[in-house]
Amino acid sequence: MTTAYERNLALTRLVEAEGIARVDPPMLLEANPYFELAGEDFGRSLMLSLGNDGAEYCLRPEFTIPIVAQYVKQGLSGAPAAYSYMGPVFRQNGTGPTEYVQAGVELLGQTDPEHALDEVLTFARRALAVYGVTAPAIRLGGVALFEAILGSADMPEAWRPRLRHRFGHPDAMARLLDRLAAAEAAPAEISIEPSGQAALVDYVTEQMLAAGFNPELGRRPEEVAARYSEKLALAAAHVPPGTVDLLRLYLSVDAPAGAAFAEIEALGTHYGFDLAAPLATLRRHATTLAALAPEAEIRFDASFSPRLDYYTGIVFEMLSGQGTVLASGGQYDRLLQRLGASVPVPAAGCAVWVSRLEQEFGR
Amino acid sequence: MTHLTLGIPSKGRLEEETRAAFAQAGLVIERNGGARSYFGTAPALPDLIVRFMPAGEIARELIRGTLELGVTGTDLIEESGDETGAQAAPLRALGFGRADLVVAVPAPWIDVTRMTDLADVAADFRTRHHRWLRVATKYLNLTRRFFSRHGMVEYRLVESTGATEAAPASGAADLIVDITSSGSTLTANALRVLEDGLILRSEAQLFLSRRADWNPERQTQLKLLLETVGWIPPGSAEV
Repeated sequence: MTTAYERNLALTRLVEAEGIARVDPPMLLEANPYFELAGEDFGRSLMLSLGNDGAEYCLRPEFTIPIVAQYVKQGLSGAPAAYSYMGPVFRQNGTGPTEYVQAGVELLGQTDPEHALDEVLTFARRALAVYGVTAPAIRLGGVALFEAILGSADMPEAWRPRLRHRFGHPDAMARLLDRLAAAEAAPAEISIEPSGQAALVDYVTEQMLAAGFNPELGRRPEEVAARYSEKLALAAAHVPPGTVDLLRLYLSVDAPAGAAFAEIEALGTHYGFDLAAPLATLRRHATTLAALAPEAEIRFDASFSPRLDYYTGIVFEMLSGQGTVLASGGQYDRLLQRLGASVPVPAAGCAVWVSRLEQEFGR
Repeated sequence: MTHLTLGIPSKGRLEEETRAAFAQAGLVIERNGGARSYFGTAPALPDLIVRFMPAGEIARELIRGTLELGVTGTDLIEESGDETGAQAAPLRALGFGRADLVVAVPAPWIDVTRMTDLADVAADFRTRHHRWLRVATKYLNLTRRFFSRHGMVEYRLVESTGATEAAPASGAADLIVDITSSGSTLTANALRVLEDGLILRSEAQLFLSRRADWNPERQTQLKLLLETVGWIPPGSAEV
């Protein structure tokens, strides 16, 4: 039986392992990057504070964004770097404000991004083991796989990005699929019966100017007119019912990894999609995980993704027997350019919920 | 002894109509020091403390439990409270202060008539403009909950404390969520309410705080007050 002090020490040793730089970003951060990247949904959970000049700050809600922002700011974009961290984060939810301790790693610009993900999985596995959790429930999610399916499925182009944006939001996704399954209602005809795109743009521009809206701010008349026409066109050209069925079927896959991959492979063969590459990558990491944690149950849940669209490739969660998330992470290749990197930078990382692990130890 | 405190809106028509509604029901509320005084009395109930406060503060104090009873708008209670609605209970709708909380977009957005349109526009907007669609409102919580129910995820809220309807024309926001009674202010600003953009129907109501300290003395006083005005809401015996 270890003491809390010994467990903390063991975790610190893991965080400060050779070849990795432990960093300690400020506790007080600008809130805007979080709203810009994660939207109002995540913004609700921030502990916000106002500067005297009205600028919004928040208590550090997680480590990835400040660490990555600092890497980009130092002009390191593209260079391999390995960071780790351990310290408090602050969130609020239904039960009020809470302080948690998190530890984690961020591997940026690694030459072998798949190997980097294996290292991240290893870190998470070892961190859990410090707290005696050797058989967590592991949930894998495939962002790249979903994107491959979405890219191959037959549908009007306009729907692909909208479906992608709803990945990770099961309710919003279900709602959109229901809508696509039902016929789209055509918009009410406007009075002037504009013939052609140019006339429609003129009409909207006139309306905006007459009403005192600046057509150069926000949605342009061209955008409104284009979407209006698109809506008419989409009302005529539906997403084929087979595509909606396929997406529903795919998103419902939630099974032990091997069985889930076989099911998806069969689905791909049936529809004639080439899913070989993303499936092979998923299988490879599932094998790594099985070797790392032979007692753990590894599932693949096709609908699982963090609600952040900068995740790519593969994502994962490790859960307690009660379903509490103990570790979560994955690949997030799109984050670095969002934060200003001039070149694409592969990235993988994870966060481990130390406070929850400590509670778990007592069970 | 502990007193029962009743919060009454401190200004304008809301104050007049609240006092008129109580007077009509048999409880005259006097504001002895005139409009500059923040305390009032009800001669029929000498133990009742009447406080004149802004309607928003009444809602917040009811939710927090620092005020036992108060007259305020449904919109303000729902905005200040959490999603369970368990912190304050309506005792009586007073029949005035009616207004709707709605989602309104620039009328020239001819392609946007329903929330599903807005969700699509929001999803495309960020890719095109490198910023989120901005929504001006005073009702941050109600807007977040409503949008989340409609699968609308890509937007930013811009807090607005006055003249929200001017935000789209000034460029401060792309659309608004605001309260409207006749719709004329929206029309005057060339804004159009979405067909399914009604978030809430609000009106002035007498609310009871469930979080307040309802000791036996206060419960007795509450019973007395409700008997005086003759408003016996269903289930009111149990606070």
